[in-house]
Amino acid sequence: MELTGLVQQSVDWHAIAPELVLAVSAFIVLVADLFLPKEGKWIAMPLAAAGIVATLAAVVSLAGDDRGTFEVAGSATFVVNDFALLFKGLFCVIGLFVLAISFHHFRSGRYYQGEYYFLMLTSLLGGLAMASARDLISIFIAIELISIPAIVMSAMRKGDARSNEAGLKFFLFSVLSSALMLYGMSLIYGLTGSTVLTDIASSIGSIEASSEPVVVLAVFFLLVGFAFKISAVPFHFWAPDTYEGAPSPVAAFLSTASKVGGFVGLLILMFEAFPSVADTWRPLFAILAVATMTVGNLVALRQTQIIRLLAYSGIAQSGYVLVCFALIESGPGAAEANRQALTSAIVYLAIYAVMDAGAFAAAVSFARKGGSYFISDYSGLWRRSPVLATLMAGFLVSLAGTPPMAGAWAKLFVFLATVQAEVYWLAVVMGVNAVIAAWYYLAVVKAMFFDQPDSTEAVEVPYLLRAAMGLAAAALVAVFVYPPLITDLADKAPL
Amino acid sequence: MPIAYFLVLSSLLFCIGVYGVLARQNAVLILLSIELMLNAVNINLLAFSAHLAEAGVPGQIFALFVIAVAAAEVGVGLAIVILIFRNRQNVDVDEMSLMKW
Amino acid sequence: MSDLRFLDIAIFLPLAGALLIAFLPRSNANLARWAALIVTLATFAVSIGVLVDFEASLGGFQLGSEAVWIKDWGISYITGVDGISLWMVMLTTFLMPLGVLASWSIGERPKAYFALLLALETGMLGVFSSLDLFLFYLFWEVTLVPMYFLIGMWGYGRRIYAAMKFFLFTLVGSLLMLVAIMFMYFATEPNSFSLTDMLATELSSGTQRWLFLGFFASFAVKVPLVPFHTWLPDAHTEAPTAGSVMLAGVLLKMGAYGLLRFAIPLFPDAARYFVPLIIALATIGIVYGAVVAIVQKDLKRLIAYSSVAHLGFVVLGMFVGTVQGMSGGILQMVSHGLSTGALFMLVGMLYERRHTRQIADFGGLGKTIPIFSGIFLFVVLSSIGLPGLNGFVGEFLVLLGTFLNYRWWVVPAAFGVVLAAIYLLWAYQRVFQGPVTDEANARIADVNSREVAMLAPLLVLIVAIGVYPKPFLDRINPAACRVVIQLDPDADCSRIEGVVAPRAHEEDE
Repeated sequence: MELTGLVQQSVDWHAIAPELVLAVSAFIVLVADLFLPKEGKWIAMPLAAAGIVATLAAVVSLAGDDRGTFEVAGSATFVVNDFALLFKGLFCVIGLFVLAISFHHFRSGRYYQGEYYFLMLTSLLGGLAMASARDLISIFIAIELISIPAIVMSAMRKGDARSNEAGLKFFLFSVLSSALMLYGMSLIYGLTGSTVLTDIASSIGSIEASSEPVVVLAVFFLLVGFAFKISAVPFHFWAPDTYEGAPSPVAAFLSTASKVGGFVGLLILMFEAFPSVADTWRPLFAILAVATMTVGNLVALRQTQIIRLLAYSGIAQSGYVLVCFALIESGPGAAEANRQALTSAIVYLAIYAVMDAGAFAAAVSFARKGGSYFISDYSGLWRRSPVLATLMAGFLVSLAGTPPMAGAWAKLFVFLATVQAEVYWLAVVMGVNAVIAAWYYLAVVKAMFFDQPDSTEAVEVPYLLRAAMGLAAAALVAVFVYPPLITDLADKAPL
Repeated sequence: MPIAYFLVLSSLLFCIGVYGVLARQNAVLILLSIELMLNAVNINLLAFSAHLAEAGVPGQIFALFVIAVAAAEVGVGLAIVILIFRNRQNVDVDEMSLMKW
Repeated sequence: MSDLRFLDIAIFLPLAGALLIAFLPRSNANLARWAALIVTLATFAVSIGVLVDFEASLGGFQLGSEAVWIKDWGISYITGVDGISLWMVMLTTFLMPLGVLASWSIGERPKAYFALLLALETGMLGVFSSLDLFLFYLFWEVTLVPMYFLIGMWGYGRRIYAAMKFFLFTLVGSLLMLVAIMFMYFATEPNSFSLTDMLATELSSGTQRWLFLGFFASFAVKVPLVPFHTWLPDAHTEAPTAGSVMLAGVLLKMGAYGLLRFAIPLFPDAARYFVPLIIALATIGIVYGAVVAIVQKDLKRLIAYSSVAHLGFVVLGMFVGTVQGMSGGILQMVSHGLSTGALFMLVGMLYERRHTRQIADFGGLGKTIPIFSGIFLFVVLSSIGLPGLNGFVGEFLVLLGTFLNYRWWVVPAAFGVVLAAIYLLWAYQRVFQGPVTDEANARIADVNSREVAMLAPLLVLIVAIGVYPKPFLDRINPAACRVVIQLDPDADCSRIEGVVAPRAHEEDE
């Protein structure tokens, strides 16, 4: 056997600088935690934040570059381009945001703080690696790197049976989905003889017709595997339970970073490797998207607990992103249409991550002191804490896709792309779902502003959380006013 | 040996694994079933790597990664199972219903 | 054209003011009040600049600006006014400071209240100045939110029910409009939301009809035309005074404005097709609103139903296909904004004094508060359409315009004028004349200086339009003409005032 592509090659250290910095930071946090006194454990958080900021600096230093490294048979398996950098930046921002949510929660709750921050950085590292991964092996490694620390994070409250349960459910679904995904990957490898996406793309279009069912089967397995990660219906059962049982900041992390990580992997796979056989798998995505939106929204209607509401709303939001996959076309002339679908998906993911993280931050702030996770307790919040109520309303309004928040653009762009691709029935389903969703988001807003509060006690929100939520809300408004802030980035970010 | 033999073996293993995941109640047995599925994947990868001229070694490397990651997963999984056993004295997933599904 | 973009400043100045108010210290409520007053007055001053710069002789839209907003999807920021929107903008900026004055005594969370009021102003001004349908839709929805909160949080009685009803009616209507806008967008080549581009798009008359109905759904709810009006009495009755003033004065006009800015020019064939239906609905509205107003026991509800009748006149004038009708309808929008705005303010003052709006609770107020009742009578007369006051000019032109094309429809419409005299004067009589039956009515105070300050400008304009409507009509007529010829290509635009010779062929006798 010839060792093709495995010759000694030089590594482009600058290209992998963000990952390296983040990995080193994670270890610094872990080691520092060993030597920190018990009352000083919280210092792990600023350390982690500094690590993420350094990572962000490394990402920025690469801005505009287009390079690759770790070549197999002449194709880079790790690329740095606008797409990768955009998502690396997004992961860093989400990471900082989740740190802000976590700080007070973990400091007050007798957790293993140092380990938590280490795990979070590691999981984030998976996200960063995912954005650059361009072959099946790296995608697999990246997704596991995201998931495994996240499993431990959700079981973080060791003594709490709910947290244990959250962790176990997440673990079983995660491992099962990995197995399914791997089986699909192994079939792809068998069909094309390569694990590098560009090679797969070039050879999968020309396979014999008799092998086509195998392609469908392989993509189906891949899709099912990712469907678990992004909590698409009918593979979503773990998500609400895990979000509810896990510490809430972890739920925020799962709902944003982890989910976006899954989507990035799916985007890379579907837009890079399989567009030439899009006709065979497009219906799968259409069905998945419709089921995910509709079930997510309908079940969200009857939730009484804010984290579960956000979990189901997050499921529904995944559905809108999945719509973009159902628009991928094959054949010549599809490039422009696919670019539009990709841009819509990128914009949606970026805006979704910020608004969802914001909503989780508001929920955590409210539950901290003087409040709870029950939606009924949000009644009259405006009279108790006008700022918190306004911020929460802003995030929910954004999630509902209503002006004056960026969420409106996210939905609109996907909708326009759907109509442009002439998939009218999907556009109609989206529209109906947007109305259903507006109902439950606005019900919370209505309760906060119109109903009478049970208590008059003000809800105290720490400055860190205030600053984080304020920035997120300001960003959402800014993007609403001037969407090119994000669309320009997404436009010039092809895979 | 024709490659079909390996593929049939691996798909059988995979199906047994899926059945085990769906039918077992004990968390450890579910974990074992998932391991079966992962091994089916490894057999696939190695068979393709050995039989297809153009496939080369990536399949074998992939299998190594799968083994390594599976080990990490099992480590985490067993830790959680032990945690749950400590808290509730059993690891039956049907009784994991503190939160509604 | 002036270099200073007065129009764009006027649109966003209130929003900036709203942000400013949101960050004022909570402890000093007076600060928010004064800030709101100053911002609204400044906006009015800026809009005077728009009025001064406006050249009636220039055709089309002017004084606006244009910028690409989202290139990929053909969404632009395009503003501009013509003789129609100019007066709508002026009406909005004029009523706003008065609305702030009328809300002076709001005690609960004044900061949020005034911030929302200012945000509402930006939304309304944006609706009247947008020339990009996406932008228009956005502002259209933006007005919904502050109004929803104003009614829901500072309203009376069944405020949450009223707010929800208002919200849902308007939302369902505007979603249908959104679908129509989207369809237009994809029908336009290259895809664009700009009104000018859309106007250049040819559509088959079958398509036009469906799209017209989509727009009509939204506008008919807002106007409101019978049978889409049921949200209005509730919203009006439960809204705080400034909310009612803005609702009647400006928000309802958005519906009528939308019809003549978008629905008619974009879908002229469909508009012509639906003329009989709309005229019928408008006339039904005139009579129905008046009849229901007669039996109302609540003053605010009575005025709300009178709005249904008055807006019926507006829509009737717009669709009869004559310049007189169109100009009259537009002037009637302004007049109704002034008269009904004043009426809601007056009822608000009564409510502040007596904490009731039931007609039966009053009686003989003319003796205890003579100045107040004098002003009330004056406004009532203007609303009825007494010659020499503002209401007359618009109603007369509408009736004249209707007579020219649809002679027999004048009968029920004129009957509506008579009914208006009945319900308003009868209500006036029950409230202000007769003996003072309730001890509480004997002790209430007459108007104070703040109230005079907010009523005086209205009264001046009521007289001014009634006596000398020429400056208004001069600017309205050219713009009105451009819309009318869409409905009736033969409409005589050469002579605008005075009686026009009967046309050669009558379409409907």
